[in-house]
Amino acid sequence: MFDELLAASAAAHGHLCPGQVVGVRLALLGLRLHGLAVPPTLAQLKDLIVYVEMDRCAGDAVAYVTGVRLGRRSLKFVDYGIMAATFVNLRTGRAYRILSTEESRDLAALYAPEETDKVRRQLIAYRRMPDSVLFRVQEVEVQLREVDLPGPTRAKAVCSACGQVVRDGREVRLNGRVLCRPCTGEAYFRRPREIAWPEMNWAPGPLPPLSLENLNPPRLTSASEDDHDQEDSLV
Amino acid sequence: MIKKIPLSEAVGTRLAHDITEIRPGEFKGPAFTKGHLVCEADLCRLQRLGKNHLYVIELAEDEIHENEAAAILAEALAGEGVVWQNNPKEGRINLYAGRDGLLVVDVPALAAFNMVEEVMCATLHSYTLVKQGDLVAGTRAIPLIMKRAVIERAAAIARQHGAVLRVLPLRAARAGIVITGNEVFHGLIPDRFAPILEGKLARLGLESGGVSFAPDDPQLIAGAIRGHLQAGCSLILVTGGMSVDPDDVTRQGIREAGAQEIHYGAAVLPGAMFLCAYIGEVPVLGVPACALHHPVTVLDLVLPRVLAGERVGRRELAFMGHGGLCRHCPECHYPRCAFGK
Ligand SMILES: [Zn+2]
Ligand SMILES: [Zn+2]
Repeated sequence: MFDELLAASAAAHGHLCPGQVVGVRLALLGLRLHGLAVPPTLAQLKDLIVYVEMDRCAGDAVAYVTGVRLGRRSLKFVDYGIMAATFVNLRTGRAYRILSTEESRDLAALYAPEETDKVRRQLIAYRRMPDSVLFRVQEVEVQLREVDLPGPTRAKAVCSACGQVVRDGREVRLNGRVLCRPCTGEAYFRRPREIAWPEMNWAPGPLPPLSLENLNPPRLTSASEDDHDQEDSLV
Repeated sequence: MIKKIPLSEAVGTRLAHDITEIRPGEFKGPAFTKGHLVCEADLCRLQRLGKNHLYVIELAEDEIHENEAAAILAEALAGEGVVWQNNPKEGRINLYAGRDGLLVVDVPALAAFNMVEEVMCATLHSYTLVKQGDLVAGTRAIPLIMKRAVIERAAAIARQHGAVLRVLPLRAARAGIVITGNEVFHGLIPDRFAPILEGKLARLGLESGGVSFAPDDPQLIAGAIRGHLQAGCSLILVTGGMSVDPDDVTRQGIREAGAQEIHYGAAVLPGAMFLCAYIGEVPVLGVPACALHHPVTVLDLVLPRVLAGERVGRRELAFMGHGGLCRHCPECHYPRCAFGK
């Protein structure tokens, strides 16, 4: 079971790397601590939120194995640069933060002494190490706000400076004004200037026959219902 | 956590540090030791020592005292053939060999255990021959109090392959010896190998299955090995013809006797031209000539491991390289030296 999962995760990620081994194992431990199936059932997935604290190889593996998605709001990325992920079960209210240990890197040479290539050694060693060596686990409390939960858009505001619609309470109130984050000056970009671009009128064209069903494969139907409601509500 | 309290509230608490008493010209030493449970009767003496406040230990629900921690650690570290007593001295517990045998240490697990900051364990080298009662390891928790979860994780790490420390008994094998070589076979030179090997076997408590002689002929060497197998030997030592000389046919003889797995060459000096083969489950050890000139060689490293049930192959013979160099001390102290560790 582990090997198939690892191979599939590596294929989705683009390569097999030590981060995939650690990430798959971290995800399996997170699911096990909550008593969830691998992969979680659709009902279980609705109650699962995973915070990933790094945008590295292991993050992809965690998302792949658990099935949490950025677009479903079940995957949260917090940019701490820490090799850790927190698994929140909305049904029980319990949350476990799993940290990959630094010492597992130092111990790789002892767990795979026959291998001298650094990456291959880690690939082998991270399979041999028990969870107790590879991870530390904290039980934590995570306060999820209503506007952070999956499901339809809870709130909309309009930026008083640029007119942009801001969803889910991400607007900022400053001196009685409602602003979008970029208009408060804390944007990741600078000097936005609107431009025209070549072939501005491209569009995919009319729907081919039956394509509505193709767009909505049966397996995903029930899981994506909320998203469609949400899309409708945007109009 | 550690708390400062007035002396008047100290009864029933435990001291977080030693308290020294000095009576000039008379006495200097600990009046009370760390961890002491303070009772009514102690108050006067503490007052006389000038103590108005004490640092005491107050365990939170998720905390644990070093002595209790040490016992949890010792329990997790000790595998078969290892014994200990729950009477920690300043947080330390010693672990002893519960029987004669070969100490085997799970080295990666030990390293992972020691990477947990709050705990430590120091051991003898893996593959040391020990006697019942020998000290083989010591463990302790480092802070006076710590989180229980940390100790439980360290204990789990120690148990990852059962236990970090085991003393494996050497099995009682019947060992047959095959001496090869034309000169010895035809009586041109006397054999000196047999008494040396029989001495080594006897010191490990093995029963001798007899000595047979064969010339440099693969068929006859194979025949001698088969003879020992039929006589019920579960270990066979073969000497002579172990180098790369074209006349050295011992390896071929061992193969003809039915060995499927043959590992030739060990990262040990003396003993590079050692051979380890298996006929079914029976180990066949090819002893190079160095055993005639040196009291301790590769054979003394491999024999106990084979008798303790380890399957010695390419990997084990290669990994002996680190520490596999004998210093040839004027007076040999093996196994109390680094050779083979
Ligand atoms: Zn990767
Ligand atoms: Zn704006």
